[in-house]
Amino acid sequence: MVIGYKPGTTADRRRPHFIRTPEEADQLVLDSACITNLSGYLVSEGLLSDEKAVAIFLKPDGIRSINILAAEAQLNIDQILILGFDINDNQVTALEGEKVEEFATLIESIKEQAPDALKNPLLEKIEGMTPKERFTFWQKEFSRCIKCYACRQACPMCYCRRCIVDCNQPQWVNTSSHTLGNFEWNIVRAFHLSGRCVGCGNCDRACPVNIPLRLINAKMAQEVLGSFDHFAGMSHTQEPVLASFKKDDSETFIL
Amino acid sequence: MAKIGVFICHCGENIGAKIDCNKLAATIGEHPGVAVSVEYKYFCADPGQESIKKAIRDNNLTGVVVAACSPRMHEATFRKACAEAGLNPYMCEIANIREHCSWVHTDPDMATEKAADITRSMIEKVKRNNKLQPIEVPVTRRALVIGGGIAGIQAALDIANAGQEVVLVEREPSLGGHMAQLSETFPTLDCSQCIMTPRMVEAAQHPKIRLLTYAEVVSVDGYIGNFHVKVKMKARYVDMESCTGCGDCITKCPQKKISSEFDCGIGKRTAIYTPFAQSVPNKPVIDKATCTYFKNGKCKVCMRSCQINAINFDMQDEFIELEIGAIVVATGFQVQNNAVYGEYGYGKYPDVITGLQFERLASASGPTFGKILRPSDGKEPKTIVFIQCAGSRDPSKGVRYCSKICCMYTAKHAMLYAHKVHEGKSHIFYMDIRAAGKGYDEFTRRAIEEDEASYVRGRVSKVWPKMSKLMVRGVDTLLGKPVLIAADMVVLATAMVPQPDAKEFAKTIGIAYDEYGFFNEAHLKLRPVESSTAGIFLAGTCQSPKDIPDSVSQASASASKVLALFSKQTLEREPVVASNNEATCAGCWGCVLACPYNAIEKKDILDRSGKLIKRVASVNPGLCQGCGTCVTFCRSNSLDLAGFTEKQIFAEVMGL
Repeated sequence: MVIGYKPGTTADRRRPHFIRTPEEADQLVLDSACITNLSGYLVSEGLLSDEKAVAIFLKPDGIRSINILAAEAQLNIDQILILGFDINDNQVTALEGEKVEEFATLIESIKEQAPDALKNPLLEKIEGMTPKERFTFWQKEFSRCIKCYACRQACPMCYCRRCIVDCNQPQWVNTSSHTLGNFEWNIVRAFHLSGRCVGCGNCDRACPVNIPLRLINAKMAQEVLGSFDHFAGMSHTQEPVLASFKKDDSETFIL
Repeated sequence: MAKIGVFICHCGENIGAKIDCNKLAATIGEHPGVAVSVEYKYFCADPGQESIKKAIRDNNLTGVVVAACSPRMHEATFRKACAEAGLNPYMCEIANIREHCSWVHTDPDMATEKAADITRSMIEKVKRNNKLQPIEVPVTRRALVIGGGIAGIQAALDIANAGQEVVLVEREPSLGGHMAQLSETFPTLDCSQCIMTPRMVEAAQHPKIRLLTYAEVVSVDGYIGNFHVKVKMKARYVDMESCTGCGDCITKCPQKKISSEFDCGIGKRTAIYTPFAQSVPNKPVIDKATCTYFKNGKCKVCMRSCQINAINFDMQDEFIELEIGAIVVATGFQVQNNAVYGEYGYGKYPDVITGLQFERLASASGPTFGKILRPSDGKEPKTIVFIQCAGSRDPSKGVRYCSKICCMYTAKHAMLYAHKVHEGKSHIFYMDIRAAGKGYDEFTRRAIEEDEASYVRGRVSKVWPKMSKLMVRGVDTLLGKPVLIAADMVVLATAMVPQPDAKEFAKTIGIAYDEYGFFNEAHLKLRPVESSTAGIFLAGTCQSPKDIPDSVSQASASASKVLALFSKQTLEREPVVASNNEATCAGCWGCVLACPYNAIEKKDILDRSGKLIKRVASVNPGLCQGCGTCVTFCRSNSLDLAGFTEKQIFAEVMGL
């Protein structure tokens, strides 16, 4: 199978295309509108269970997602053939390599640029706020949340068979659309994605009420990079930042 | 329907003075599900416990909350009382209204209110408690003793003499440790080797002891009663089975100028060697670093001299795996490197030596056959200056602690010197004379009064050579005058420090250590021989500086702990362990990495035809310590901890 893009409902939208026959390949599209990270489809139930290889169109962020999914034992990299591409100034360029390991140098260079790449004017504005102002800001943003969980469905990292919000014995996360439940859901999601989010923006685009979800994840990415020198998706053997420790980890928050 | 009994303890004045216990009992009595709510002065005392038991029987209570001190104090006490009254002990919870409330608050009304909140929270938890049963784990009745000095040998012999199997691992080629290096021992002046070597032989020949010398423990996995230990048998290049220990190879070895570790650099050894004449086993090893063959590819003189072909240069390190039930760590100490004291000139002037080097000089089996001779010119010193606390009790360059044995061995050195060199004069610079122990103060008095050791209370500021003498400048603080002594030899009472690799080793076997690298006991006063890890015990100087009697006592104490563990086929463990919901586990293995005890394994779920459906995490309840790290990591909330389940914690939070 090949997973790529085909035309979507509007001119600037693309939808995932699952190609099983040579004829289906005719519909393939690759242009600057192909920004969705398709890696999540690989871990949809059973797709890789026949142990056959799958080729997939991926941008560098998607390639990093493959590394994380492999590191978390959700896929076998031997089954994945990467058709890498990047978009710069609306131009699509092909990336060299097929196997995820071949992109290591590319990812290394992305990591080096990350401290600057993760900067964002709105994020800096929020950081300049007092805790109270910040709380009000997010309370307002989250107040639109309708708990549709589209962010979760779109995220390649949200592969759990049962999400914590679907757990009602006990119901840790309040499903109603009130301040408490809104904060609970979005903070839990931020923690579950810290050290794992590659900033592909799938969640952001999926959100029907335009909550700037990517900001929260970018902030967490900055934190783990600064505190633990952890950059998500460096290799398929990378250990999760919250489950591993090194003797020289900085202890800024424990006495 | 829950019937909860709540027992509010005054803890004398500790709780009662701050919290209105009567009001608290009345308030809690109205909480749904509470059948009994009473207060009492001391529930931990016998009448208190009896009243809890009576209440359980009289009211058929389904759960008990004792609002009292920290669960660390008396949880076990009250759970036992509940069990005696027929209630599952895990249906008893402690609401901590002392450390968490009365001790830290000043306003009585608010403290009482908070105490009610804490208690209600625990009532809600206990309603959701499960009747847990202790976990039974089998015990492998075989002990591992790490270190073959006096402490290790004593522990091994005690365990073996009680009929249990022991594996004794020593990293040097021979048993003996530091005690075998000593000349005479305080306070009785009996010859160290004469009392040590019979023990070494006894340990080597004991049918219950498997002796592994020139071997190191490289990994320890598992848990109390069920450790898996990997031991590296370093290549000796001499076949232990066939070697008769005749020593021909040692006499023939062309490398004769290697500094002897056993003689602390004062004597020399060959490349194929036994550390000392009375070594156990008395079979040589080849030191790969100094052997001519290993350096140049030519020689093999020892091989040709061996009449039974016991020497094999192709020998490789071997690894053996052991199943072990309990471990005694007796890895000993090292002496501090005195070169840090530039002013004493150790390492620069050959006649400035350490206490341990003096032991070798005074030992009948030493390089000088027991004669006190200067390393520089082999002459008999007429004046010796001893400097106590050369490293100990010195936060600036040495160590902060007292090494405990130096006052005694320096007095002994002065005595031995007086006995061997009758006209010799010894001066001892000291800070304090610490001679607490049976016969110890009498011993130091004897050194002063009968053997005329001259004690000078003060420190030495500088040692420098002049002609063939060492000039020692110090101060006599009792006279308030500077002192200058022309000495022939200076002996430093060097500090006892942990083995250089102690911290790494502690991490390998999974025990705690202090800032210096001495291994930590579970409780300094009440559990001094247990390490912080269940099933691992400590003996001797690896825990703290000790003399021989203390090391031997601790070794015997450790042995008795091991034997107590081995007295039963199985042991009971707390059922507070994690378990995994295999249906919802996503198999990301975050928990496997997060678990500090390696208690989580990967498990294959197969269908009826044996086809792999999925792989999930599986908690080994024998290894799990119930810390809950995995539970907090699991994104899908598949892991849960018995006794602290999600439901219980949620109810606890909601009860506030």
